[in-house]
Amino acid sequence: MSSRIKEMMRVATARLGGEQSPRGGTSQAGRAEASRTARLGGGGGSLRRQPQPQAPTVRTIYCNDREANAPVGYKGNSVSTTKYSVLTFLPKGLFEQFRRVANLYFLMISILSTTPISPVHPVTNVVPLSLVLLVSLIKEAFEDWKRFQNDMSINNAHVDVLQGQKWESAPWKRLQVGDIVRIKQDTYFPSDLLFLSSTNPDGVCYIETANLDGETNLKIRKALEKTWDCVIPEKASEFKGEIQCEQPNNSLYTFTGNLIVDKQTIPISPNQILLRGCSLRNTEYIVAAVIFTGHETKVMMNSMNVPSKRSTLEKKLDKLILALFATLFTMCVIGAIGSGFMWEVHNRALSRWSEMEVLCSAYRFCGVFINEKYFYLGLRGRVEDQFNPKNRFVVTILTMFTLITLYSTIIPISLYVSIEMIKFIQCAKFINNDLNMYHAESNTPALARTSNLNEELGQVEYIFSDKTGTLTRNLMEFFKCSIGGEIYGTGITEIEKGGAERAGVKIDDDEGKRSATAVHEKGFNFDDARIMRGAWRNEPNPDACVQFCRCLAICHTVLPEGEETPEKITYQAASPDEAALVAAAKNFGFFFYRRTPTTVLVRESHVERMGSIQDVAYEILNVLEFNSTRKRQSVVCRFPNGKLVLYCKGADNVIFERLADGNHDIKKTSREHLEQFGSAGLRTLCLAYRDLSREQYESWNEKFVQAKSSLRDRDKKLDEVAELIEKDLILIGCTAIEDKLQEGVPACIETLSAAGIKIWVLTGDKMETAINIAYACSLVNNDTKQFIITSETDAIRDAEDRGDPVEIARVIKDSVKQSLRSYLEEAHRSLRSTPGRKLAFIIDGRCLMYALDPALRVNLLGLSLICQSVVCCRVSPLQKAQVASLVRKGARKITLSIGDGANDVSMIQAAHVGIGISGQEGMQAVMASDFAIAQFRYLTDLLLVHGRWSYLRLCKVITYFFYKNLTFTLTQFWFTFQTGFSGQRFYDDWFQSLYNVIFTALPVIMVGLFDKDVSASLSKKYPQLYQEGIRNTFFRWKVIAVWGFFAFYQSIVFYYFTAAASQHGHGSSGKILGQWDVSTMAFTCVVVTVNLRLLMSCNSITRWHYFSVAGSIAAWFLFIFIYSAIMTSFDRQENVYFVIYVLMSTFFFYLTLMLAPVIALFGDFLYLSLQRWLFPYDYQVIQEMHKDDPHEYSMIHLPERSHLSPEEARSYAISMLPRENSKHTGFAFDSPGYESFFASQQGVGVPHKPWDVARRASMKQQRQQQHTGRS
Amino acid sequence: MDSSNAAGTSNGGSGDGDPAAAARRNTKMPKYSKFTQQELPACKPILTPKWVVSVFFLVGVIFVPVGVVSLLAARDVVEIIDRYDDACVPVNMTDNKLGYIQNETISKECTRTLTVTKDMKQPIFVYYQLDNFYQNHRRYVKSRNDAQLRDYKKANQTTSCEPERTTADGKPIVPCGLIAWSLFNDTYIFNRGNENLTVDKKDISWKSDREHKFAKNVYPSNFQNGGLIGGAKLDSSIPLSDQEDLIVWMRTAALPTFRKLYGRIYVDLKENDTITVKLDNNYNTYSFGGKKKLVLSTATWLGGKNDFLGFAYLIVGGLCIFLAFAFTLLYVIKPRKLGDHNYLSWNRHPAGR
Repeated sequence: MSSRIKEMMRVATARLGGEQSPRGGTSQAGRAEASRTARLGGGGGSLRRQPQPQAPTVRTIYCNDREANAPVGYKGNSVSTTKYSVLTFLPKGLFEQFRRVANLYFLMISILSTTPISPVHPVTNVVPLSLVLLVSLIKEAFEDWKRFQNDMSINNAHVDVLQGQKWESAPWKRLQVGDIVRIKQDTYFPSDLLFLSSTNPDGVCYIETANLDGETNLKIRKALEKTWDCVIPEKASEFKGEIQCEQPNNSLYTFTGNLIVDKQTIPISPNQILLRGCSLRNTEYIVAAVIFTGHETKVMMNSMNVPSKRSTLEKKLDKLILALFATLFTMCVIGAIGSGFMWEVHNRALSRWSEMEVLCSAYRFCGVFINEKYFYLGLRGRVEDQFNPKNRFVVTILTMFTLITLYSTIIPISLYVSIEMIKFIQCAKFINNDLNMYHAESNTPALARTSNLNEELGQVEYIFSDKTGTLTRNLMEFFKCSIGGEIYGTGITEIEKGGAERAGVKIDDDEGKRSATAVHEKGFNFDDARIMRGAWRNEPNPDACVQFCRCLAICHTVLPEGEETPEKITYQAASPDEAALVAAAKNFGFFFYRRTPTTVLVRESHVERMGSIQDVAYEILNVLEFNSTRKRQSVVCRFPNGKLVLYCKGADNVIFERLADGNHDIKKTSREHLEQFGSAGLRTLCLAYRDLSREQYESWNEKFVQAKSSLRDRDKKLDEVAELIEKDLILIGCTAIEDKLQEGVPACIETLSAAGIKIWVLTGDKMETAINIAYACSLVNNDTKQFIITSETDAIRDAEDRGDPVEIARVIKDSVKQSLRSYLEEAHRSLRSTPGRKLAFIIDGRCLMYALDPALRVNLLGLSLICQSVVCCRVSPLQKAQVASLVRKGARKITLSIGDGANDVSMIQAAHVGIGISGQEGMQAVMASDFAIAQFRYLTDLLLVHGRWSYLRLCKVITYFFYKNLTFTLTQFWFTFQTGFSGQRFYDDWFQSLYNVIFTALPVIMVGLFDKDVSASLSKKYPQLYQEGIRNTFFRWKVIAVWGFFAFYQSIVFYYFTAAASQHGHGSSGKILGQWDVSTMAFTCVVVTVNLRLLMSCNSITRWHYFSVAGSIAAWFLFIFIYSAIMTSFDRQENVYFVIYVLMSTFFFYLTLMLAPVIALFGDFLYLSLQRWLFPYDYQVIQEMHKDDPHEYSMIHLPERSHLSPEEARSYAISMLPRENSKHTGFAFDSPGYESFFASQQGVGVPHKPWDVARRASMKQQRQQQHTGRS
Repeated sequence: MDSSNAAGTSNGGSGDGDPAAAARRNTKMPKYSKFTQQELPACKPILTPKWVVSVFFLVGVIFVPVGVVSLLAARDVVEIIDRYDDACVPVNMTDNKLGYIQNETISKECTRTLTVTKDMKQPIFVYYQLDNFYQNHRRYVKSRNDAQLRDYKKANQTTSCEPERTTADGKPIVPCGLIAWSLFNDTYIFNRGNENLTVDKKDISWKSDREHKFAKNVYPSNFQNGGLIGGAKLDSSIPLSDQEDLIVWMRTAALPTFRKLYGRIYVDLKENDTITVKLDNNYNTYSFGGKKKLVLSTATWLGGKNDFLGFAYLIVGGLCIFLAFAFTLLYVIKPRKLGDHNYLSWNRHPAGR
């Protein structure tokens, strides 16, 4: 079911992303405008709207009254995303095909070839063109059929509709405007709905908008009070409201309308609107009225076709085709001039016989001419324009067209369709089926959503990665801690694993090998029996442990939910870090199970007496909240016995500053531990406490209350007051939370860097978090020189305090400008002095906004391109896209974006290649992407293996196509010189028409599918090989020129070697061969040679290669045997009748057939041998290194048997870890409220505020009571 | 739908039956095949020195003998070529060759004397060779109608025969078209001393042409009846399939210089024999400056006098053997360990990217 629903969401393809993508200036501006209004409105949770331009008409909907709505003729709810219908398929499909220049060109040639100026029969061009069109149309039809089936499954999904007084199930497509529907939990809204009532009290329902914006947190919608009672069908059927609202539009966050019920007009806000594409959560069911259907829903109005991306290689291919056109044109001009004008030169030369003799003979050799003196051409009297010697100019022009038709084969007509076929199979069969990219846990294979960009994957130089969900799992797990100078927790992080692997130690992390005491649950992944479940009381420092646990259990803003047992309870926290800490306290024996507005209840298993369990209520007197300036959070609580304690947790530097004197040992060891955690990529927090006397507290509390009630600068005053009490703290210890990286991320990043790919992290997170992850992913390490541009500086803060927005902007801009300039200089300096040094550039979104200013853009780009890694934090989706297109357009490098959420959509679409992380909820990114993979680490396979191979293969295919058509056409060209430039064809019509589509078609596709320079494992073992793609080694003009040169050489060989044959009698009969004998011989040589040449350029030859090459040559012989044995009844010349048998009766034929290909390939072979020996490509060296390796099958993995027991192996591995301490201590904490950062920007949703915690706690209690009261 | 719930319950309870089997059914795991995993067994040819040298050597070893044999064959052929177009113009008309050839009152008879340079074994092939004659011109090549030639019922089919389709009064010409119209019409009579050397004109065309392209029941009609006479006339009582000169002529040549078989002489000629050729110099090559030559030649299994193939084989073969040595030398002078790390670009320029 769920997978089908995901499929359904495909209709909403472009959604938000389509709007955000910076394709046109107007849409960008529109977007910015929209978000600004939304932010203004959404600030305090109340929704104020900017006045919207009213549509000329207002939509009036009569709820529950189909007859009344009928006259208006609203569209139905069925959606169609197909491109064609049965009727339009042929015209529209053909039109699409002829938008391709090559196809249009061949259409024109085909038309030309039906006129008398054509030397070739129309069949020559019509046959290949129709074959190509046929294949393309079949593909189009197939794809459209799949779209159609998808639409059908969506349209036929069922929903409950009110019929009379009953709910009846009906398919989505039957839904009409004004219908009343019932939506059950976890199902999707079939259209845009007006929310009427819910089974929840207060007419509230929760919706998930992951498909719209990627936000996984639930949003609240509230029905109008007037309609709350429509829950049961009887009531609902009585509901006869009239909705007057705006016409359908694409603005997701606005809605204007009124509900008129009982002559009462109630305004409707977006808070009552449920959009198609969202789903209902945590609510049994709701009742709603349909307002917009089908293509008029907001999500569909937003959907536009995802812009189809073309690969850089294909763009370069266009240039090659242009070059071919130029060559064609030159050839035709030469021929045309020859036909019309050479004769005049010749004549004039004759008149000045003496000095021009040499020149004359040259012209004579060339032949020439349209002249009556060639009586056998019958040029006297009335002659058609084409040959009329009286009008040479017309002759020249017409000959030009003649030659264009004759040489049309220089443009490889089947190239595009072959490439499409190759890419399609590469995607459908190789990428989608790669077992190395199949993620078993989420049951997700890789998915290529477009087949246009395979080879682009082989040339990526910049990767823009989202953090959450892409690099990390967005799981915060309590992993280690340090209490009183002792480290607890024995896990190994991904980063350590990566480091160990680099150092050559292999660590197995199978779940089965973990020790029995390890506990793994949500937010807690900890393995140390010493302090679990109260075991800490046997530790040397039990008091510290008690304080530690209490601090964890009390100092937070978490709300417990669900049954109050340790197993069932879930914690609702503004940040996952907090939930993890509370979960840790629970596992250590301090189970926080209830919060009232004033107290925190903790079930302590322990304390004075062994084994006893005791519920303790701590009274929370004050909460000093967390914010990014304070970087700490404190609570003041009163113990049941009246003791007052302040618990504080926060960043190491702020806590250490506020510690009481003394106890240096524990401070020192704690600091060391912090550094150790930091280097392991863990997020650290320090815990401290302070006992307060009653007097101390009361005098402080007065100030606090005062500050809290002040009207001006309340936040600032609160901060100041907090400072007064958060001092003289006693350090308890520190916690280390693992922001769990996706599996294999550090190793993958390592490999990608070695491949010459630069990875940028673009995240909405805070700077600390982002830097921490950069450390974790080894993008940044101790040796890295960091350039940080942040808006969190004193100067900017001062400006903000003054509050003048213009002033703030100026200050930020100046500081950004200055730092960019100085950093750029510094970077250059550092590059000169220590070339190997890694540089990293870190910037936050606010500064980035100014840095992207056209004036500073150059500096920004300059600096970022020097740095090996770039981290952008707190960036908005739009900025992500801007950064991607900055590099794409500014630096003209090939870029790739990878992300998992809706906020990555714009970035995914802005980069050359967009990759979505699949297998999770929220399909938005995947829908906008070109490829979807389940894990970041699969990028290695996708880029280094599939991308690289695709690139190599396509380069080979394209250059080969170029070569084979050039060779073929040039033989024609040489012949033209000896036919008096008349444009006589050398080959029979059918030879020419089948050359591309039969005799040389299949082998090149085999190469496009199967050619491998080195195996997949070697591709990953030597990531540097990837640089050949980045540098575009295989598709340069130089490479093409080499192929071109050999095409030239070979064509001369084929033409002159076979033409020489016609001079003398052959065989003992003394009979003479005619023109068609010569051309058939030449064609045989061409077919044999180009097929063999392909074999020569293969790196690996499978049996498919043999079959196809031998098959192609055999196909030619088979064809010619049959073709020359029959006479057709059509009115055509029987030029090649019996030709092959005549040829085969002479020895000459066999000798030539052996000689010409060998001489033709001689040059190529010589070149390849020399090139390989003197200037080997990297892949060739690697081939040589591994030439004796046995054939690899990736599936065969022999399990490595270790003689150590799992525990031994594990502890050994730990002991082998590189223990390098980092200067980085790893502080990172998601600031509460951040989660809804984007939501608040977009003006919907109710942001959770930490200070709300008490109020929320009280509200929840009321609700629970109501519940219990009702039941 | 809610995956976390589902996971929770399935962990707790064992009522799901066989979860592994269910998983196997629902899995989207791609099936393994060598094709999709791109692990098809393949041979991976690498141009190692061994291969390069052996290939060159092998080609050389094969080609040189073939070249020698073909060259020897070509050497056995004796060929006598006599250009007669200029020589047959009377001395007083050398300035107006065109006038000479177009004036029907002047006798075109001409006598040439050839000396046999070497013994010639029968059969001796008589060819005529034309230079600068574009039988491959587009207008010329297509100016024929094959249907007409092979079916008497289709005599009216003269499409594509422009401009020699019909006579002035609209009757179809058989054979129509420029090719037939411009049929070569010089004739040769050979004498050695007083002995007449008969020229056998049978079987000078390819059998397939004779039997299938030119029918036995199609007779020339209206041929060369117009104001302009292009070339030879045909005896309208002889079917086309027996008009071998026409058949030969109509197998158009590939290049503007070509030979056509005229006939065979089944007499051995001795060295220094003198042969008198009495020829009718009818054909007009003067207007376009073409040459006419008479060729007497013997043939071997490979055909006429054609050194080209032999030399080509010999040169290529020799070159290959030379290259085999050259490459051996190259590998000695500029050795490179196969698969040497140092040749990898990132090892060559460690600082660079």
